[in-house]
Amino acid sequence: MARDLEVLSPRARVARWLLSGYALLIYVFLFFPIVLLVLFSFNANRYGTFPITGWTLEWYRQAFSDYQVHDAVSTTIRVALQVTLISTLVGTAAAFPLVRSHLPFREGIRIVFILPIMIPGLLIGVSLLVLFTSTFHWTLSPETAVIGQSVYTTPFVILLVAARLQGFDTRLERAAADLGANTLHRLVRIVLPLILPAIVAGALFAFTLSLDEFIITYFLIGGHNTLPIFIYTQVKFGITPEVNAVASMLLVGSLLLLALAFALPQLVRRARRAVLKARPA
Amino acid sequence: MTVTAAAPPRRVRVPRVGTGLVQYVGFLPAIVLLGLFFLVPLGIIVCYSFWETIDYSVVHHWTLDNYRYFFSVTAYVSTMWATLWVAVAATALAIGLAFPFAYWLSRYVPRRLRTPLLVLVIVPFWSSYLLRVYSWLTILGEQGVLNRFLRWIGVTHHPLGVFLYDRPAVILVLVYLYFPFGALTLYSSIERFDWNQLRAAMDLGASPLKAIFRILVPQIRPGIITAVIFVFIPILGEYLTPQIVGGTGGVMIGNLIVNFFQAAEYTRGAAVSLLIAAFIVVLLVVFRKSLSAKEAYGA
Repeated sequence: MARDLEVLSPRARVARWLLSGYALLIYVFLFFPIVLLVLFSFNANRYGTFPITGWTLEWYRQAFSDYQVHDAVSTTIRVALQVTLISTLVGTAAAFPLVRSHLPFREGIRIVFILPIMIPGLLIGVSLLVLFTSTFHWTLSPETAVIGQSVYTTPFVILLVAARLQGFDTRLERAAADLGANTLHRLVRIVLPLILPAIVAGALFAFTLSLDEFIITYFLIGGHNTLPIFIYTQVKFGITPEVNAVASMLLVGSLLLLALAFALPQLVRRARRAVLKARPA
Repeated sequence: MTVTAAAPPRRVRVPRVGTGLVQYVGFLPAIVLLGLFFLVPLGIIVCYSFWETIDYSVVHHWTLDNYRYFFSVTAYVSTMWATLWVAVAATALAIGLAFPFAYWLSRYVPRRLRTPLLVLVIVPFWSSYLLRVYSWLTILGEQGVLNRFLRWIGVTHHPLGVFLYDRPAVILVLVYLYFPFGALTLYSSIERFDWNQLRAAMDLGASPLKAIFRILVPQIRPGIITAVIFVFIPILGEYLTPQIVGGTGGVMIGNLIVNFFQAAEYTRGAAVSLLIAAFIVVLLVVFRKSLSAKEAYGA
């Protein structure tokens, strides 16, 4: 189709080259800051910027031996695991009635479920701050941050699992029922395995979002630090190569997790096919 | 819901998992989580914005004082307008830059290359938000890459501080942050466009640009609106970007909210939060017909 248009318009060839050059610039714009950040984390220059005076792993060594970084990393992972657990369970459970029930106000519920994604995290943070400190009189802790982050990550799990359930072939369940499986059996043996890729993707998604979450955590974690909060407090005193190193590791970590989240459904499908093939007919 | 297999042994209406009596049980945890920790706190914020703080404690006395106070301080009002202005500018730029890109991707790129190239755009979007803001310090700062470059080519001899800590820096970084979102949303609507229509328009004598604006743009309007909303709303509540690259010259309404709450002026902070929330609600109600969260998140 695109070729046909070019025959019609002699200017299309020029347009194509111009737009391709433009797209290249866009990619440079998108990746330049990130590449720079990683580059500077290996730069011997202790101001964390140009010129590059040599290559070193010193900043990574420093980051690894910094007890504040240790503390922040362990808090971050602990919080992220709890958030993942909560949002995966709550989100998966909610996806079923969202897709399958015949509630008259299902659309309203769907909007409430998606609202936490649309509303700026800042509002979630401050409103929970008021709830926890003024209404409940709780002490802020990593656990209050877990609740705040879960409010924000659960809708993502709901969306992912609901999308998978929507495309679910219900005849499989009927077939299982015909063969005598009760509700629990159908859920455990048929439904859950089939929507598992979406659940796992949702869990990885929640984990990654939690790793990077800043504003809600900032309000709710009290005196503790997650990695983003730690980086933020360091940035206040200027850029240091050590922060560049920590930042690069966080970057690589979240990218790996996301790659896994996106690749997983396909990997599972491939693995399942391989197993089916290997099994004698 | 009837079984259509040929001569089934029993004609049973098999309830699917998650229907019947247990139909609504799955909602319970989500209703507790999102009701108690999302809707209730929002309700409390609404109340707080109409209550009074006396001697650091909140008195349940209905008043409009918090709003009156906000609008009586010129600096706050001008920050509010500046926030709207920054949000409009950044949204327009992000979407404006994303449109030619999405057009290029769906029209000139071979089909098998499209997904990898699109993923390449989304990668920065899904990498750490804080780091993407922070990385601009290494570019725009006085010891940053831009200053180094300018000194190297001889434009200036001493570091310039003008790139950072003002609204242009904030807008630039916001465009950087939200461009991938605009590109993703626009691409998913342009991709479904039937290019034959453009060809027909040009057959009938329309110039390429005219054809694009008269034929393509009206058809992807829902996509454009979705992109605008999902870029505009988070920008209204931005805190980190103005805080890190904006400094005192680039303050936005989010910074005001944080300052109020950190100073324990909950009721005033609540009033400002409600201003943002009101703006968002108006926006969503106006555009609710064209909103597609599914399209926006690709879920």
